Amino acid sequence: MLSILDRSRTIAPPGYNRFLVPPAALAVHLAIGQVYAFSTFNLPLSKLIGITRSAPDDWSLTQLGVIFSIAIAFLGISAAVCGRWVEEGGPRRAMFTSALCFAGGFFVSAFGVAQHNIWLVYLGYGVLGGCGLGIGYISPVSTLIKWFPDRPGMATGMAIMGFGGGALIGAPLSVLLMDHFKTATSLGVAETFVTMGTLYFVFMMIGAAMVKLPPPGWAPAGYTPSAVAKKLVTSAHVHADQAIRTRQFWLLWGVLCLNVTAGIGVLGQASPMIQEMFPGHISAAAAGGFVGLLSLFNMGGRFVWSSASDYLGRRNTYMIYFALGIVVYLLVPTTGQLGSVLLFVAGFAIILSMYGGGFATVPAYLRDVFGTMHVGAIHGRLLTAWSTAGVLGPTLVNLIRQYQIDHGVAKADAYSVTMYIMAGLLALGFVCNYLMSPVDARYHFRPGEDGSKADPDRILRGA
Amino acid sequence: MRLIVLWALVGIPLIWGVSQTLANAMALFH
Repeated sequence: MLSILDRSRTIAPPGYNRFLVPPAALAVHLAIGQVYAFSTFNLPLSKLIGITRSAPDDWSLTQLGVIFSIAIAFLGISAAVCGRWVEEGGPRRAMFTSALCFAGGFFVSAFGVAQHNIWLVYLGYGVLGGCGLGIGYISPVSTLIKWFPDRPGMATGMAIMGFGGGALIGAPLSVLLMDHFKTATSLGVAETFVTMGTLYFVFMMIGAAMVKLPPPGWAPAGYTPSAVAKKLVTSAHVHADQAIRTRQFWLLWGVLCLNVTAGIGVLGQASPMIQEMFPGHISAAAAGGFVGLLSLFNMGGRFVWSSASDYLGRRNTYMIYFALGIVVYLLVPTTGQLGSVLLFVAGFAIILSMYGGGFATVPAYLRDVFGTMHVGAIHGRLLTAWSTAGVLGPTLVNLIRQYQIDHGVAKADAYSVTMYIMAGLLALGFVCNYLMSPVDARYHFRPGEDGSKADPDRILRGA
Repeated sequence: MRLIVLWALVGIPLIWGVSQTLANAMALFH
């Protein structure tokens, strides 16, 4: 019965329309992207006993903030550890496992809420759900790259756009469901978790059922690989275990980590930041709108920038992210001093579009540098940069802001230094990207040479 | 047909989410 999950059962029949694959990938990414909207549960979870206000035995917001951090940490760990397993078992088995973990995380958390046991929520949404995030995130990436050798940036951009879009669906959906299940004695969180787990499981299973791998030797009609050799685009393959020994892997790790650090710190603090920089002008509701707008640009940037990288080249695209990012970060404090909300919002919209673009362009960058053989597994290992940035970014922004306020700087000006430090981080990222060069031929994979389980036939057909 | 159904399946929730977000974002400029 479980053989329908096998890699061999996911090979597409002749004439299969490749545009059926991106929505399958989107079904998974739109579901797991809900993690970005988890904060909508924080306030209700902090009033489970008191209902109208937090009771002494209720969970604190600090305790609840840990849930998201555990989930993102396990995203990185599971993507790094399971990358080879995902690559070898095929996308359907990975998507199915991801759906089980992600939905299972909601169910365990619902039980934790019913029992008022925070450890069950950490274990459920944090550990189990986090593993679902990591496996689900990398599951469709190499499949899409194989279906779209002519437009790898656009293809992965489409899927990873879904991860950004997941928050836009998850936030209003959770509010809607909690309103529906709310009673005089309950905030409806446990019921919402069960419903969302069920809905997301069905949604992800549709993706798992529809995903297909291209048959051996398949190429899009009329497609011929470029005869002109591009410096940073290889036709060779690098084994995942070899890739992490190369300088290029760690430079790209730095590129991703620094780009994400600069964006995620601001994303997490966007609401208080705009209210403090424009005191008296921005209400809490308007600040919420600002966060939503940033999420939209985060999502749109994933598709637009990643698609553009097919024409601009991956290295050049990251050069733009870093150079433009530095300029905008340096200008943002001035927009605050000018009192221009519009310019401030526009600046951060550009920054967040490039933050999303950085995530979406990296799989195609890896494919260019390391080939397609283990691109999913290498991508999984690179995502540890995201977990690192997830801790580094918000901590840095909070610490710098607090230091400024403790030393008598007005709240409205406390973010200026933060912006300059973010620009500095982007300058470091620019240098990492500038240093990128082709991988030395001694790291290239030769079938049978290292006794690994990699299938040489898959390499020959570019799988 | 299958192509339209599958794209609608992911497109409709996404459009709903985007419209909800845009509606909230309007508060920023009022």
